Amino acid sequence: MKNFFFGQIKLMNKKNKINNFSVRWVIALKEEAKTIINHYELRPVNENHLFPIFKNVDETHWLVLSGIGRHNAAAATSYLYSTSNVMQNTAWINIGIAGCGQGKYGDLCLVDKISKNFGQSRYPTTKPRTHLPKMNLFTSDVPINDYSSQELIDMEGIAFYDIVSKFTSNELICLMKVISDGPENNIKSLNRDKIINLIKSNINNIEEIVSYYEKLSQLDFLNNQKTYLFTQITSNWHFTVTQKYKLENLLRRIKVFLCDKNVLEIIKDCKKGNSVLNILNLKIKQSEVDWSNS
Amino acid sequence: MIETIYIEEKIRNHPRTHFILSKFKKARCIEIDKYGEIFNKRNQNFRIQKSSPKLILAHKSSGLVLPAPEGFGIGNSKNFYFSHMYNCIYDCRYCFLQGMYSSANYVIFVNFDDFNAELEKVIEENKGTKITFFSGYDCDSLALESVTGFANHILNLFRKYTDVDLEFRTKSLQQIPFITSKPMKNIILAYSLMPEIMSSALDNKTPTIAKRINVMKKLASKGWSIGLRFDPLIHGKNWKVLYKDLLESVLNSLPLNSIHSVSFGALRFPKKMFKSITKLYPEEKLFSGPLSNNDGIVSYDYEIEEEMTSFCKDITIKYVDQSKIFKCSV
Repeated sequence: MKNFFFGQIKLMNKKNKINNFSVRWVIALKEEAKTIINHYELRPVNENHLFPIFKNVDETHWLVLSGIGRHNAAAATSYLYSTSNVMQNTAWINIGIAGCGQGKYGDLCLVDKISKNFGQSRYPTTKPRTHLPKMNLFTSDVPINDYSSQELIDMEGIAFYDIVSKFTSNELICLMKVISDGPENNIKSLNRDKIINLIKSNINNIEEIVSYYEKLSQLDFLNNQKTYLFTQITSNWHFTVTQKYKLENLLRRIKVFLCDKNVLEIIKDCKKGNSVLNILNLKIKQSEVDWSNS
Repeated sequence: MIETIYIEEKIRNHPRTHFILSKFKKARCIEIDKYGEIFNKRNQNFRIQKSSPKLILAHKSSGLVLPAPEGFGIGNSKNFYFSHMYNCIYDCRYCFLQGMYSSANYVIFVNFDDFNAELEKVIEENKGTKITFFSGYDCDSLALESVTGFANHILNLFRKYTDVDLEFRTKSLQQIPFITSKPMKNIILAYSLMPEIMSSALDNKTPTIAKRINVMKKLASKGWSIGLRFDPLIHGKNWKVLYKDLLESVLNSLPLNSIHSVSFGALRFPKKMFKSITKLYPEEKLFSGPLSNNDGIVSYDYEIEEEMTSFCKDITIKYVDQSKIFKCSV
């Protein structure tokens, strides 16, 4: 019998349930990022770079400071994508302050529509069942003082969304804005401390939203991960790429009839990968799904 | 619970849009240009969306009535289908809609009158031919009736064309408008059925089989024609006992003269669709069964399919005339 450590399967499965989520933050200003950096205990990775990056010890949260404007947001997002071990299940978050024609100063809003001066609008999804207001975001290339025709106004949102939607699903993209200025609150009165406080006063709401995306990311990971059994078998027998694909399918199916330990037991005497596939196939053919224990 | 409704600008002020919106007073409404911007977008996560689907109100401009695929029919020489809605409030694990659309959001086309016009056109073009229309190919025909009122709307058209058949296919318990209307001979209320223990594992969010049978009984007693759709037939331990019990229970519950037709269909997926669905639900028991790929179609082995169909047919034939029994081979 090949050298298997059955006990490790359980241990590995247990380990896999911990921190398999992945979150990336794109934030324009360091004042906007300060509370997030502190709250998620992020440390600088490349402080003197054009786009400073921060990450936590587990490397589950990474954050980039993009600077102001669409071009900066697009470039910083791409840079973070290429440098932070992004996976398919990574959730992407853009947070910042925004002007607003409606709503209340200091409120955290979720964005469910983004538009700019020309072209099609974009429709990010938002966390369901939340008390937080949802609003349209208008991304402008120049600062706007006339708030009358828009809900939220920023200078990065659409670029962030366009880049991120190239490498993740719409459901894993989140844009949040804290209302910082509007008809009643002059943009000129904004300063460093006020910006920090606007984000800080919303940290509980932010955490609630982020934890939703952490869970989605984790679920997506578990859904798509190769099982430990697959790794065990492929490290002990040789399989071609096509055979690996077949093996993955067979293991997915045989799980209904046999536990991992028993799967290893029935293939233990196989000499070649092909005979592993044949045995698994035969076992599935001989088994019937029992609907009574669903 | 619908939290967000996307509305095409073109139908923003359509009376049916207002009617539907009145059912979701707390929903956030977002104006869009075309439903495809949301519905056909790439990079959507069907499984996440299914846990909190959104509603899209749209205008359907083409393909309102289409010829049904070969092998889909209940006796008449020509078959057509139409869908006033894409996607379904239920979440049945064998449903092809999971692999067909990239989105799990519901689209409702509000221009019902255009469906009438197109249906009348097809009826005129096929005068003298026995035809059947199928509603609910891309959705459940009746599950959202209380929101759309589509069945009620379309019934009026078919009162004019008594020699043209229309089938509503459903798993819902919706009885309106039928319970309040005079029965029509050309309307078939068709119910999808499978043994209860299979249904409770596979038909997520649907009413139980027992409840479906009760509604069928009620509508049959009112004089409506009932269709029994054992489609797909599901394989598993004790399948013979399970299907025998189900068939006998249904056929003993209904007045036999109320049964319009009985059809049996195999579990089948195009290979590409199967791949997408198993990727969405890799842990699903259904896909562990004796399925194999034959010429690009994933299905139970031919012998299993044949054995199941013949077994069910042999029981049914004791109750229902053979001319009313069909095999759906789509």
